Amino acid sequence: MRRLGLIFGVLLVVFCTAPVRAQEATGTIRGRVTVDTTRQALSGVAVTFRSRTVLTRADGSYLISGVAAGTDTLRARLIGYAPAQRSVTVMAGQTVVVDLTMSSVAVNLSELVATGYGSQRAGSVTGAVTQVSAEEFNTGRIVSPQQLIASKVAGVQIVDNNEPGGGISIRIRGATSINASSDPLYVIDGMPVGAGGGISAGRDALNFLNPNDIESFTVLKGGESASIYGANAANGVVIIQTKSGRQGPPQVEYSSSASASQVTRLPSMLNAAQFAAAVAQYAPQKVSQLLSANTNWFGLIDRTAYGQEHNVAVSGAGQSNNYRLSLGYLNQNGVIQGTTAKRLSVGLDYAQRLFTDHLNVRTNIRGSRSIDLFTPGGVLSNAAQMGPTQPSTDATSATGYYNWPGNSLQSADNPAQILALATDKGTTYRSIGNVQAGYRIPFFEALTANVNLGYDITEAQRETFNSSLLHAQLKTGTGGTLSRSNPSLLNTLGEAYLNYATPLRFMAGSIDLTGGYSYTQSHGEYPNFNEQNLSTGLLGTSGIPTAQTVQNTLDIQESKLISLFGRLNYNLRDRYLVSASVRRDGSSRFGPGNAWGTFPSVAVAWRISQEPFMASHKGLSDLKLRASWGKTGNQAFANYQQYAAYTLGDAQSQVQFGNTFVSTIRPSAVDPNIKWEETISYNAGIDFGFHNQRFSGAIDWYSKSTSDLIFTVPVAAGSNFSNFLTTNIGSMKNTGVEFTLSARALEGGRRGLSWTANFTAARNSNQLTSINPAAGGVQKILTGGIAGGVGTTIQVLEPGQPINSFYVFTQKFDASGKPIQGSYADSVPRAFHDPAPKWILGHSSYLKYANWDLSFTLRAWLGNYVYNNVASNLGSYAEVTRGSPYNLHTSVLATGFTQPQYQSDYYVENGSFLRLDNLSLGYTFQFYGQPLRLYATVQNAFTITGYSGVDPTAGLNGIDNNIYPRSRTWTGGMSVRF
Amino acid sequence: MNPRTCKALASAAALLFVAAAGCTDPTVQPVSTITSANIFNDPSSYQKFLAKLYAGLAVGGQRSGDGSTDIQGIDGGFSQYLRLYWEHEELPTDEAVLAWGDVGIPDMNTQTWNAFNVFPQSMYYRVFFQVSLANEFLRQTTDAVLAARGASSTLKATIQPYRAEARFLRALSYWHGIDLFGDIPLVTENDPVGGTPPAQSTRATIYAYIVSELAAIQSQLPAPGPSTYGRATGPAASMLLAEVYLNAGVYTGSPAYGQALAAAQTVISSGGYSLDPSYRHVFQADNNTSPEIIFAITQDGLHTQTYGGVNFIIHSSCGGSMNPSTSGVDGCWYGNRMKPEAYLRYDVVKDKRASYFYTAGQTLAVSSISDFGAGYAAPKFQNVTSTGQPGSNPGFVDTDFPMFRLGEAYLIYAEAFARGGGGTQAQALAYVNALRERAYGNPSGDITAAQLTLPFILDERGRELLWEAHRRTDLVRFGLFTGGTYVWSWKGGVSAGKATDSHLDRFPIPATELVANPKLKQNPGY
Repeated sequence: MRRLGLIFGVLLVVFCTAPVRAQEATGTIRGRVTVDTTRQALSGVAVTFRSRTVLTRADGSYLISGVAAGTDTLRARLIGYAPAQRSVTVMAGQTVVVDLTMSSVAVNLSELVATGYGSQRAGSVTGAVTQVSAEEFNTGRIVSPQQLIASKVAGVQIVDNNEPGGGISIRIRGATSINASSDPLYVIDGMPVGAGGGISAGRDALNFLNPNDIESFTVLKGGESASIYGANAANGVVIIQTKSGRQGPPQVEYSSSASASQVTRLPSMLNAAQFAAAVAQYAPQKVSQLLSANTNWFGLIDRTAYGQEHNVAVSGAGQSNNYRLSLGYLNQNGVIQGTTAKRLSVGLDYAQRLFTDHLNVRTNIRGSRSIDLFTPGGVLSNAAQMGPTQPSTDATSATGYYNWPGNSLQSADNPAQILALATDKGTTYRSIGNVQAGYRIPFFEALTANVNLGYDITEAQRETFNSSLLHAQLKTGTGGTLSRSNPSLLNTLGEAYLNYATPLRFMAGSIDLTGGYSYTQSHGEYPNFNEQNLSTGLLGTSGIPTAQTVQNTLDIQESKLISLFGRLNYNLRDRYLVSASVRRDGSSRFGPGNAWGTFPSVAVAWRISQEPFMASHKGLSDLKLRASWGKTGNQAFANYQQYAAYTLGDAQSQVQFGNTFVSTIRPSAVDPNIKWEETISYNAGIDFGFHNQRFSGAIDWYSKSTSDLIFTVPVAAGSNFSNFLTTNIGSMKNTGVEFTLSARALEGGRRGLSWTANFTAARNSNQLTSINPAAGGVQKILTGGIAGGVGTTIQVLEPGQPINSFYVFTQKFDASGKPIQGSYADSVPRAFHDPAPKWILGHSSYLKYANWDLSFTLRAWLGNYVYNNVASNLGSYAEVTRGSPYNLHTSVLATGFTQPQYQSDYYVENGSFLRLDNLSLGYTFQFYGQPLRLYATVQNAFTITGYSGVDPTAGLNGIDNNIYPRSRTWTGGMSVRF
Repeated sequence: MNPRTCKALASAAALLFVAAAGCTDPTVQPVSTITSANIFNDPSSYQKFLAKLYAGLAVGGQRSGDGSTDIQGIDGGFSQYLRLYWEHEELPTDEAVLAWGDVGIPDMNTQTWNAFNVFPQSMYYRVFFQVSLANEFLRQTTDAVLAARGASSTLKATIQPYRAEARFLRALSYWHGIDLFGDIPLVTENDPVGGTPPAQSTRATIYAYIVSELAAIQSQLPAPGPSTYGRATGPAASMLLAEVYLNAGVYTGSPAYGQALAAAQTVISSGGYSLDPSYRHVFQADNNTSPEIIFAITQDGLHTQTYGGVNFIIHSSCGGSMNPSTSGVDGCWYGNRMKPEAYLRYDVVKDKRASYFYTAGQTLAVSSISDFGAGYAAPKFQNVTSTGQPGSNPGFVDTDFPMFRLGEAYLIYAEAFARGGGGTQAQALAYVNALRERAYGNPSGDITAAQLTLPFILDERGRELLWEAHRRTDLVRFGLFTGGTYVWSWKGGVSAGKATDSHLDRFPIPATELVANPKLKQNPGY
């Protein structure tokens, strides 16, 4: 509590040192500062008359009162704009109105960048922050918002799972955690929605947000900028701002597109003749099971997937308000049958300015329904395993589908039958909204009081159904199964903060001071039921029949986060910039001994280009050195870790006492003082720009050290209730360097050829420095479960190595280059490469000529490795000796393995690639006096890689085990305004 | 700013400060999680906690099929207590070989493990999981604690035998612990939870502790009978004593064959048990009705579902051309077969104990560990009842594991006699021949007094107790487990077998445990 008092105290001191109103005969100057070309208001412009300086407000207005009568020069200064000045004569007791216009010299320096609880001009930013706005977004069929900025920001790795809108993971400057989340905090219009973006019963949690409604993404990469979000910020922060209405009469925008997708690559399996030959040679006793069909199982389950999207938005702005209402509809099929993503979304943004613009209220409400249909589990793996000699249909079977005879546990299932008889569907309703009010105190206009009240509510449902007639159910004897979970989550937010921005009277420079309080709480309910051996399958997912085994569970999860925060920005003549912030977080997830964490940061920057001695270097428009330090936390782990919980046994884990069965309870091992994982980041950077920012760029070096990493480590046997305890113990480090270069290479004007090109390059090295300090380098944790064997793992967490390094033997080869089965150069596995790319390169180009526009995004990863699990699992002749033979991966033709060699490094492949992520061509013309744009986009146009499996990018873990195949998507669309 | 504005702001700030003070407590009590704070508000929790101590032997976790696993670091089904114990007692011996290539298993077949092997590691953790839970149960059920919770006198009376059972189960696991690992820590209910790592004790100390514990609880344990089936009874404690005494020489250097014989005699003369007329029935789905079983780890297709335990034994001993329905299960796991030495001990023509061996399509010799066809199969355990009905669930078996049965008490008596532990020759002979007669169906297999030698008894134990998780302990007691006196297929990692080093008589203290508990010293040789 003392800290809270301190923050208010500091604020008060600052207010009270503000100038005392002059008493002599004086006059007043007021006016408005706008951009010369667009007439847009400019805020934060330093307007100086004699020794008095004020900053313009959001509407560009300023007021300088109490100036002595006389004539002098009024000067206006804003980063990225040429200074403006005018001679002004002030008369006692009079108000003179002076409106100024400023012309832009370096647009990207003057952009307002969201920094959390406020914004800053890009040129004044002291930390590692990147903003991406709508015109730079990726094009084509975008289901998840995060895909908009893939390859656009250096140091930000965006990975999806190839399904439309599927499971997006973002790693900003590498992963910082093993057992907590490594996903960034998302903040949408001031409403934090948590690491990973909340909950969903379908695919990515952020899919509720229509990408078409997004104005900009701001990525707070560095610890210094993210630390204002404290215990949620260790993985960086992604601030999403949605579109709002623009000045002018009501306007309707309509855009529509249609797309078609096709599979690019599938696992390489033996054909019917090869399969029959393998069975004949290695499992002659199984030959009798083979039939004479020639089935391409993947051909039966994939498809050309169509999709469509429609968006309508009505927007406008009046004198004191603006609004935007949007409706969106998306329906996108996946390239494997059974996969569909549907979204219906509505969004309303309304801002009203009241009390002569002193009170600014912005309300944002959006809601959506997402329906995700999933390809039922096992379709892809069974398409790989099912024998190509076997037919898909069998008129004699109960379901009309063929399956191997005998229902052996070791037999593949007909994937076409699974598609027909199994269902997996997620439905998510989500609404998020907030009211942000900013009140500029009358007579003390430098001070703004802000309140932000918000909610985020999700009601979801996931249903799965497996018919009892399915081969998989028959062979395991589980009968028909039905499961349904209905997670719901309500998060509420209340925040109040004060902002005080003013030039300082008693010393040079201006300050921007923010301090406040934030309270968030979360209530989640997770009811779930599972039924096995259904009495009937006729109802599918539409009812709950009786069943032999019924399991019901309900879990309620609640959490709280209470925070105090403050930030001070100091700007001296746009040359010397200092920023310091502190956040104090109290979280219900921390044990009583560690209930509060403090997360400070400090950053400095020197804009050398503004120094008088640089004035002669006309070509240099910006040169800034930045250095910063920040501490952030990660609390994205489970609730109640500090409580000694008892786990109830289910009805199938009972024991027999006489003639009755008794269920059980089990105490759990806990660390009562569990707390956040802590990351200390250093960042040093240089921003540069030439020729009024026609060429600009940045180089950043960073180092992030994470300590108190949560690990589940062995504890001395007998000293607690389990052999492992989850506690804050490990440490890890990420270091890297990032390069960004942006060039307006050709500036052809309105009708000529113009070309803007952006390049990004980022290198990150990750190292797990320690799991358990007591164990030194000895302790390893095996991770990365694969298909094949029971509990077989392929990766390791080992001190001194990157996390999730592959843990494999060195394969020996014979003279002909063929791997020798079971022959390894080492006696124990060793850490060998890892799935994270060493370098991520991105390039975006935007070309314009007359009515035509063309853009494309290229991406390359270097040094990422992938374990080809389809090859390792189905790449030995042992698989044809199963109950019913499994089909084999074609790698077996090269290796000749007769036993699986899961742990051979033969299967760890370099996954480096170059991919044209999207290529978009548009043509704009006038239609009834309004612009109409037609465009065509191809996504995933090509991938150049040496990797032999399905896709070198699917998933973060680098294990290619029947992953969803990547598709190439063609989209054609139009957008019109009227 | 004028002073008035300042004052107003100060008041506003103070107001905010006060309002905020009410919103600065981040504590959230769990609502749908049961914690130590409320678990014992429900009196049935004591029985459920006790049930967990038994369940720790029977299943791997709190969810069907070993989900919500008790110990970590290994697959749930792999981690199951009985499965691990069975693998430790059978795979390194002349009795069984397991085909699978999962990391760690091949070494278990061939006595080539090291301190990093996940199987001994998990077994070690399983032993101490049992010990820790038993200790906690005892802490939570002291008179003082019960009185503080206001427990009724009825409840207190109910809990008293539970405490004795908890101590029995702790003693049982400590026996497994010293038998497998030698010198391990001794942790009791008097040690704090979450405290410093426990110090290493010795085999002899823990041996003495087990003996004293069993003596102390003998009279407090529930009486045997159908209503206490599955629970520890007085005779079960005597049987555990007999086992521990029989191996006292290994644990302490001073044998205690007299006490072993006396303890076995106590079991035999308790009168509650008799040899099951059908040897087969002892290993079938309805073996809970067998009169021979003194202490069983219960399994049930509907209520006690594990991928370890007897479910593992039955599934894994099926493969090749065997029909899984003969074993009463849904499929074969192609795992365990006999090493030839185990098979060759039987007179397969006359001895009915060999009648269920499966040889069609199998070879006697284990030419390849990973090939199920190499080695005869021994589907001794079946999920089929004595009347031929399949168990309640082909995926999870009903067949209980007879950890202690009367037949073994007979053999302990005979061995203790032969080793000079007292008793009479006539009695010893009578017990052995009782087993022989059941096996042969007539006295044709009876032995004479002269034949009642220690080597015979070891072989007879092999025949009678095949795959009942006694073999490693037996071979160690006879000094044959390591060394070159007796080699069998794949001993030492070569198909013909070779001598192994005597340090392998004990499994290693897991490497992970040496890290977690710096007070421990590794067993010699590792």
